[in-house]
Amino acid sequence: MTEGLNWGLPVIWYLFLAGMGAGALTASASLFLRGGSVARGMHVEIARYGAFIAPIPVMVGSLLLIFELGSFEAGHWFRWINLYLVINLSPMSIGTWLLTFFIGLSVVYAYTFIHNAPGITNEQRYSLRIFLSWVIIPFGIGVAVYTGVLLGAMPSRPFWNSPILAMLFVVSSLSTGIAAVLLARALFPGKQSNDEAAEQYHQSGYIFAASDVMLIGFELLILFLFLMFAHLTVGDVKQAVSVVLPGGSLASMFFIWVVLVGLLVPALIELYYVVPKLLYHKAFAIPRGIEIIVPAAILTGGFMLRYVVVIAGQITGPVGI
Amino acid sequence: MDAEVKMKNGDEGKSALSRRDFFGAAGAATLTAGAVALSNTADAVTAKSKIQYGMLIDTRRCSGCQACSVACKAEFDVPLGATRSWVEYVEKGTYPDVSRNFLPRLCNHCSEPLCVSVCPTGATYKRKEDGIVVTDSDVCIGCKYCLQACPYDARFINHKTGSADKCDFCLHRVSQGVVPACVNTCEGRARIFGDINDPNSEISRLIASNPVTVLRKGQGTKPNVYYIAADHADETDATNGQYINVTTHREQAERR
Repeated sequence: MTEGLNWGLPVIWYLFLAGMGAGALTASASLFLRGGSVARGMHVEIARYGAFIAPIPVMVGSLLLIFELGSFEAGHWFRWINLYLVINLSPMSIGTWLLTFFIGLSVVYAYTFIHNAPGITNEQRYSLRIFLSWVIIPFGIGVAVYTGVLLGAMPSRPFWNSPILAMLFVVSSLSTGIAAVLLARALFPGKQSNDEAAEQYHQSGYIFAASDVMLIGFELLILFLFLMFAHLTVGDVKQAVSVVLPGGSLASMFFIWVVLVGLLVPALIELYYVVPKLLYHKAFAIPRGIEIIVPAAILTGGFMLRYVVVIAGQITGPVGI
Repeated sequence: MDAEVKMKNGDEGKSALSRRDFFGAAGAATLTAGAVALSNTADAVTAKSKIQYGMLIDTRRCSGCQACSVACKAEFDVPLGATRSWVEYVEKGTYPDVSRNFLPRLCNHCSEPLCVSVCPTGATYKRKEDGIVVTDSDVCIGCKYCLQACPYDARFINHKTGSADKCDFCLHRVSQGVVPACVNTCEGRARIFGDINDPNSEISRLIASNPVTVLRKGQGTKPNVYYIAADHADETDATNGQYINVTTHREQAERR
C-alpha cells in the first residue's frame, strides 16, 4: 500500500523501531532505578535485557532512514551529514540531535551492563550505570515524543496534525518497548541459578506486565479520544480520519491489527495473569508460550499502528483547493 | 529579448525600465544565495522582504493549452513524471449545465512557507531580497519533509539531483530582468508577474482592482500566487451526486 507515497516502509519501520528501542530503554532503566539506587538492584537482570536490546533497533531504524533519503538514492552517500551542520526548530533537526545523543548514550549504557567490562572498574561501571539511567530516561522519552511531533507538525496533513498523536506514540513506544524486553527475556532466558533468581524473574516480569496493561489501557483511551474528536469536527480532520473509521480504506487493517491483535487481546491475556497477584497476592507465574505470544502480538500491533498512521496521513489532505 | 518581454507583458516602456533596474539589483544579490543557505531559517521566514515577487493568474484568459507546463519542463529539464508547473482541468455539471475551467498551478512562494519551517538542513529558505522560496540542491538531503508539509503538493524529489525541487519563479531569468518562462510563453497573457509589495506595479494594481483568491487560504501560508476567477471546486465538494472531475495532468492523479 505504500507505493507512490513519499514516506514508505523505511520510515514506518524507523518510527516503530526507534519508538520501541527508546521505550525499552526508558522502561527498563526506570524499573532498574526502582530496584534501589545500588548497582545490583533487584531488577538488574531485566534492565540488562533492556540495555542490550535497545540500541540495535534504534540504530537499524536510523540507517533505514538514510537509505530512503532522496540524496542517498541519487548517489550522494554522505549528504545526510548536512543534518549535523545546523540546529533549527524543525522537528527533524531536533530529532536528529536527540536520536544521536540517545544512540551514543545507549551504547555506553549497554557497556555498563557487561560483566567485568574491560577498561573500567566494576565500581566505576556501577556508578556510571546509575548515573546514565537517570540521564537516559528523558532522552528516551524525547525520542519517543519527537516521532509523533515530527508527523504532527504539519497543518497540510490533517490526520497527523493532532497534539494527541505524539502522546499516542509515546505510550505505544513504552508498551512496545516493554514487550520487546519481555520477548527477548522469554526467548533467551539464561539460566536461573536458584529459586530466588527465578522468583526475581517473575517479580520483574509482573511489574512489566502490570505496567503494560495500564499503558495499553491508556493507549486505547488515547486512540478513542483521537478518533472521537476527529470525527466530531467537520472538514479536513473529519475527512482524514474517516479512512480508519468503519467504511474507510484502512478501517479493517486498523481495527483488526492495531486494536484487536495489538491492544485488546494482549491486554486481556496480561490482565488474566496480573489480576490474581494484584488482587489476591497470589504468585505471578506466566507460561513461557504466553510470554512469547503476547509481546509478539503487541509488537505486531505497534508496527501496524505506525503503518496505518503513516499511510493514512499521506493519502488524505486538506479538503478543497 | 527584453523588448519582446515588454510587449508580451503589456508593460509601458517606463515601468519596464524601472523594473529591469531592480531586477538587476536583485541579480547581484543572487550571487550570495548559496552562502546564506545554511543560515538560520527562522530569520528567513519571519523577516519581511522588501520585494515580494508574486504572480496573478487570470483564469478567464487561460485556455488550458499547457504551454506553460511545456515551457517549464524545457527551461529546467524537469525529469519525466515530475512537474514544477502544471494546469488542472476542472469539469463539472451535467449537460447542458456544464463547465470546464483551467487552474494553472505552481509554487505559491508563501509568506509563511511551511516547507521552510520543517526543513532540517536549511536547504529550503525564503530569499530576503525578493521573497522567492528556493531549495539549495547542494544542501538538501532529500528527506521529503517539505513534500509532506506543502499544502499545494508543489514539491517533488528530483531523482537526478536527489534534492527536493519545485518552481523557483525562474530565479535565473528573473534575476536577469526577464519574466519567468511560463509568463513569457502564455499565449493568452493569463499570467502577470511582478512585485506585489510595490503598490504601483501592474500586478499590485490588478490585485487591487479585481476580485482575487488564493488557494487553500485556510492553511495560513499566505500564498503570493493570486487568481482571478479561479474555480475552487474539488472532487470532495461533489455532493448530491453532482459531477465534478479534476484532471491534474501530473503523476499525482489526485490533488491531496
